[in-house]
Amino acid sequence: MFLVVVVVGIALIFDFVNGFHDAANSIATVVATRVLKPWQAVIWAAFFNFISFLILPLEVANAIAKIIDPAVVSIGLVFAGLMGAIFWNVLTAWLGLPSSSSHALIGGMIGAGVAKAGWEVVDDTTLKKTAVFIVYSPLIGLLLSFTAIVVVMWLVHRIRAKRKVNQTFRGLQLLSAAAFSIGHGANDAQKTMGIIAALLIGAGHLNASVLDNPDTLPLWIVLSCHTAIALGTMFGGWRIVKTMGTKLTKLEPMGGVCAESAAAATLFFASHNGIPVSTTHTITGAIVGVGSSKRISAVRWNVARRVVWAWVLTIPGSAAVAALTYGVVEVFN
Amino acid sequence: MDRRAIFFACAAVICGLLIPFIPHEEGKPDISWVGWWLVIGYSILAVLSALDAWSRSRKS
Repeated sequence: MFLVVVVVGIALIFDFVNGFHDAANSIATVVATRVLKPWQAVIWAAFFNFISFLILPLEVANAIAKIIDPAVVSIGLVFAGLMGAIFWNVLTAWLGLPSSSSHALIGGMIGAGVAKAGWEVVDDTTLKKTAVFIVYSPLIGLLLSFTAIVVVMWLVHRIRAKRKVNQTFRGLQLLSAAAFSIGHGANDAQKTMGIIAALLIGAGHLNASVLDNPDTLPLWIVLSCHTAIALGTMFGGWRIVKTMGTKLTKLEPMGGVCAESAAAATLFFASHNGIPVSTTHTITGAIVGVGSSKRISAVRWNVARRVVWAWVLTIPGSAAVAALTYGVVEVFN
Repeated sequence: MDRRAIFFACAAVICGLLIPFIPHEEGKPDISWVGWWLVIGYSILAVLSALDAWSRSRKS
């Protein structure tokens, strides 16, 4: 039981760090355009992170819990999977590669599962779905935000009162930031829920039948994961100096609303269909969409290129680290 | 050719190539329409971007 509590604790710390790391994505535009003060924006994002479980189904948690056959999941396997993801995140942060902690977590679980019992324990459907949407999610965000900004610009270009238009979009940013935070909370917190559920099933503390109906997942798992990600968002908010918004392209309130709404729509779709996606990559795609509507050179393509490298490397990299960690765990077992 | 049009055309091709890999889960809605929607969307954007670049080059 002690080991289970320790591994649940590590999973929640991973969730906290995820919120800490991604806080800037949610609040960058509202702070940059001075719609909210930083502390207000942080509370706003953390609140919507927390309540997302009331709005979106727990399909992502279900998909993550099933990515490795529950029959072979053990405490050591989940520990190795988490360690693989954490090590990969630290390594890529040190190298400055915009890696996705979600993909690192999935790669970690797959690596540890394969090291324990071979490829046949990996859920092919979830793996394929995740792999395809690594590419699709930023491209959906990009397409939606590009279309949205073109339509909005066409609608407002005849309006002479530019200040009033700007004011309207500054207000709308509150809604788009809230929607994005809901999508972020739902998709990312559910990944940790899935890991904890898999751990408890593997350790015999939870019945595997919860995977047939994800809404029956114990409430303490749901609340603890949402609390961890919301606290991470609150504590990570101060790091907004360097944001995705200013790194990729300069955003105005209108562009911010379009990018956040497009990313939120993508995350809502993914969460509803149980597809684990990277929130960072999704908002990156959406911001690139807004930037490329002006002119292609408005986008800092070297940053976008690094995201592509992160797509390719994260799952195999974290899987390799987790497999090695599992080997070490087995030696001590 | 316009760089933006090339980017959109490449995105359309990549999305199309990935459609066969979208799994269909029993009892859940088929989501392969997303892939088709992306292919059509990016193809339209590629054509419009190319036309935009062409009309700009004619004006100048």
